[in-house]
Amino acid sequence: MNTLQWSDTWYLAPEITLAAFTIALAVLDLMLPNRTNRDLVGWLSLLGLAAAGVFVGWQMYDLHAGGAASAAHSLLGGSYRVDDFGNLLKLAFLAATFLIVLASLGTIRQAEMPIKGEFYYLVLPAVLGAMVMSSSGDLITLFVGLELLSITSYVLVAARKTSGLSSEAAFKYYVTGGTASAFILYGMSFLYGVTGSTSLSAIGQGIGPALADYRAMVYVAFFLMIGGFALKLALAPFHAWAPDVYQGAPTPVTSFLAVVAKGAAFAMLYRIFLNTAMYASDQINGSAVRDDLFLALAVLAAAAMVVGTTGALRQHHAKRLLALSGVANAGILLVPLSLDVSNLHASLFSEFFYYLVAYVFMNVGAFAVLSVIAREKGDEAVSAFAGLYHRAPWTAGGMTVLLCSLAGLPVTGGFFGKLFILFGTVQTRAYWLAALLLATTVVSYYVYFSFIRQMYMRSGDTDQGLRVPVPAGIVIWLSVAATLALGVLPKLFMGWIDDVFSILADFLF
Amino acid sequence: MATVFSPYAWLVPAFPFVAFAVLTAFGRSLSRTGAWLATAGTFLSLVLSLVIAIERMTGAAEDYRGGYEWLRIGDFSLPFGFEVTNLAALMLVVVTLVAFLVNLYSLGYMKGDDRISVFFAYVSLFTFSMLGLVLADNLLLLYIFWELVGVCSFLLVGFWYQKPEAKAAAKKAFIVTRIGDIGLLIAILLLFWYMPDHALDFVSLHNVFDPQNGGTISLGITTLIALLIFLGAAGKSGQFPLHVWLPDAMEGPTPISALIHAATMVAAGVFLVVRTFDVFEASQAAMDTVAIIGAFTAIFAATIGLAQNDIKRVLAYSTVSQLGYMMLALGVGSVPGAMFHLFTHAFFKALLFLGAGSVIHAVHTQDIREMGGLGRRMKITAWTFGIGALSLSGIPPLAGFWSKDAILAAALADRPWLFVVGAIAAFFTALYMSRLFFLVFFGKPRGEHGAQAKESPGVMTFPLLVLAALAVVAGFANTPWNGWLGQWLTGNAEADHASALAIVVSVAVGLLGFYIGWLVYVKGAVRRDVLSSRLPGVVRLLERKYYIDELYAWLFVRPLRALGDALTAFDTHVVDGAVRLVGAAANGIGKLNTRLQNGQLQTYGLAGLLALVVLVVAIAGRRFW
Repeated sequence: MNTLQWSDTWYLAPEITLAAFTIALAVLDLMLPNRTNRDLVGWLSLLGLAAAGVFVGWQMYDLHAGGAASAAHSLLGGSYRVDDFGNLLKLAFLAATFLIVLASLGTIRQAEMPIKGEFYYLVLPAVLGAMVMSSSGDLITLFVGLELLSITSYVLVAARKTSGLSSEAAFKYYVTGGTASAFILYGMSFLYGVTGSTSLSAIGQGIGPALADYRAMVYVAFFLMIGGFALKLALAPFHAWAPDVYQGAPTPVTSFLAVVAKGAAFAMLYRIFLNTAMYASDQINGSAVRDDLFLALAVLAAAAMVVGTTGALRQHHAKRLLALSGVANAGILLVPLSLDVSNLHASLFSEFFYYLVAYVFMNVGAFAVLSVIAREKGDEAVSAFAGLYHRAPWTAGGMTVLLCSLAGLPVTGGFFGKLFILFGTVQTRAYWLAALLLATTVVSYYVYFSFIRQMYMRSGDTDQGLRVPVPAGIVIWLSVAATLALGVLPKLFMGWIDDVFSILADFLF
Repeated sequence: MATVFSPYAWLVPAFPFVAFAVLTAFGRSLSRTGAWLATAGTFLSLVLSLVIAIERMTGAAEDYRGGYEWLRIGDFSLPFGFEVTNLAALMLVVVTLVAFLVNLYSLGYMKGDDRISVFFAYVSLFTFSMLGLVLADNLLLLYIFWELVGVCSFLLVGFWYQKPEAKAAAKKAFIVTRIGDIGLLIAILLLFWYMPDHALDFVSLHNVFDPQNGGTISLGITTLIALLIFLGAAGKSGQFPLHVWLPDAMEGPTPISALIHAATMVAAGVFLVVRTFDVFEASQAAMDTVAIIGAFTAIFAATIGLAQNDIKRVLAYSTVSQLGYMMLALGVGSVPGAMFHLFTHAFFKALLFLGAGSVIHAVHTQDIREMGGLGRRMKITAWTFGIGALSLSGIPPLAGFWSKDAILAAALADRPWLFVVGAIAAFFTALYMSRLFFLVFFGKPRGEHGAQAKESPGVMTFPLLVLAALAVVAGFANTPWNGWLGQWLTGNAEADHASALAIVVSVAVGLLGFYIGWLVYVKGAVRRDVLSSRLPGVVRLLERKYYIDELYAWLFVRPLRALGDALTAFDTHVVDGAVRLVGAAANGIGKLNTRLQNGQLQTYGLAGLLALVVLVVAIAGRRFW
């Protein structure tokens, strides 16, 4: 059953929808006369994202139809899997992209981004790549998804064609991304060499027996991949590219990189680590190899939290600051996966996903506010927020909620996200990670309050009301509402994830 | 009978909360409209409370519990719920009624204050918190509201923060009650630890401490928990030895003294003991403590009240003393007696405070030696104040008589010597109230403003009239021949304590006290300095409130301050040094980060590669040699 069956197309409906929309919109963009406003392409792109989202939701409903516990559908010889893990992440990616595109309608200026139409339809293959990454059961499909996402992202970063900064950012992102892909691919080839398969389940079965002869090779394979993923996720000290790229890229693209690209890299890391590294143990070595690999992740998570937070202390540029905050948050997101797996800490995915969703909303919202302000001032420094409270008190209030969530203050999604992750660390007795998580959270208050200080306590150069475009306003308020909802009713959402997701059905296959 | 209105009980605190939110958000631009808005919010709460109470009185409505689970951690769940019982319904009516009248009164009293909208915002927040406290279905939620009312009390006592005395009083009120709060917190933690399933809701408490399934928690622990809860209650309700904050709290605006420090918040301590009464009943030692502390506070504060010259302080000590009565009632096992007295006391004491406020409003002083002769100029205030004073002194057939009699009868049945203490305290009560009343309203004007004093405006006298009416009739809810209130509250007929002896004694001491006051301060048959000339030491002792404040200053404040100085030194040199070190370290790492961030991609790549090598060598390398 290695070939694509006609019946499989139903399971691929979300992906096919996105691909079809990409092609159709590309053609449409070419045929439209130059003077036509490209916002039309943007609205159609939203339609495509929404349609894909509906299909994903429908498939989730199908998987659980009849009250069945978690089940997964695997196609193409197990290289592609439609399961709850993938579906949940796909929903998050689609929702995030939807909000990002919606916020950019009306905030992007034609002069600044001459290829607006291309931006709107290139987002679709990028998110398609992310979806493939979260749904693959094979190294090759994973890598294809990764490259699809990466290459479209390179183009997107360069979308501000006239800006030198944007070109520099695109170049840096391209070189870094290429390096990361090379590392990952090199690591994957070792894994193939040791086990003789690219299928994750086959590697999982073969890795234990292979340890006896090829222990060093296994280490090399995984550490190369860890290095590549650390670059992709911008974990410290592999993060130095992130501030430069985030600053140069158009704000919607920055938001996309921070949320979707990062989330997709996590999806791939979860797929690979929980299906292969998990089983790296045998009679001779015991679980030493496996423990080392997860320990490496924990060390990277810790380094990212510390470096990201302290680096942000001295940052005055809003996008660079949010880039470093993204480094710290990547560290926090990595914590659940890196915890001791010997007595399987089953809630690791719920913890990760809860914080990811909170992270999506707080970042998308904050970037939307930033783009509204930058659009008027042409300045992306933190000081551009000065006097925002007097110009637009409601927007300032919304931003305050988002910042509280970023800082991890109650009652917001960010608070409970961090709290659940903290519970996980305490549960598995990783007290040092818990301590670092708390310490960096405290330091981060200072970072995020630099915005609050500007908004409320400094006066800007103008008292004129800030005009917030309607789509961006909708995105800001949706993000704020979702952030608060996650904070007020944490149990509802957490319960839902726990109901839908079962680690046994989705991994360990 | 199915209950219709109880499920909406959460709306009762919601109205004042909305008023608080609106006032906080738009306060400055609303000013007077905001004050009316707050009053309207409380009025809605009052109407709903009355509807709920009437529904529960007419039909045998079941207790209603609602709410939702806020958070679940492991097998512990944090509920966010409310419970409507007859007790809660009664408290809702008392709190909303007094709050509404005080709001109305404040419209006149606080007129012209710059921060009037802030005042009403705080009052609304307080009303919300107090109602939340009453409705809370578990101890943790109750504790949250318990702290909130404490904060509101702090804010309102210190409302005129330009006055140093007000600031000091606010601080004192906050710190002294915190001592009690810590007790309550430890009690909650102990309960959390020992209760099956870590349940903290009142229904589970009732079941666990029910004597029928006793022994779940050992007697020692039960006593400890009960005493710690009582410590919290003593702090809030101004019981000896934590009573010292309440008289000082009179620095706040007078309507606040009526609402918070007479009718509602200070009664929260009594309410807490009633709510957790099962715990107390399970331990005789705890019951004894409550009874003795209550009785002692009752007589102790009453004697101090005899020698004070500030109109509000006399009333404050009277409040302390009356709260002592309620605790005494609880200690001898009479929940209905305590709740009944809480109920009537809320009305007549709020009446007395609002009347005092009306007097202060007119003569701009609080010293009763500078008043006098106000009866002719302020008729409504004088009459209503007189009714309140008689009610408090326990003169039949006013409300205070019935409730005090219920307590004395219960004490007589349980422990006669406590009855004697209570009766003596009742005599002092009548004496200091007659002294207060006659000095203020009779005789000739002594102060400079006394001669031109005018009656207060209608918004201020209307609440007085309503409260006066209640101070007359509220007592008939529960008389020796009609135990309706007690039966409604506890669900079963109270053992009949009614005794002719108690009635005769309590009438006699009340009348005697008032008669002596009349003799001394109106007729002049006995010279006023008859005591101070013969026993100067005793009077001085009373004037200085038994030197308790001085004792505390010497015993606690000075050593604590010395400790504080030592800790400050430690803090500035050691802790701050460490903090500066951490800050410098964080900054240092940040700087390193900037160093790395030089814009050169080669540097970035090199840093990554080096990091990977270090990671590999450190983690995997150790396995190979």
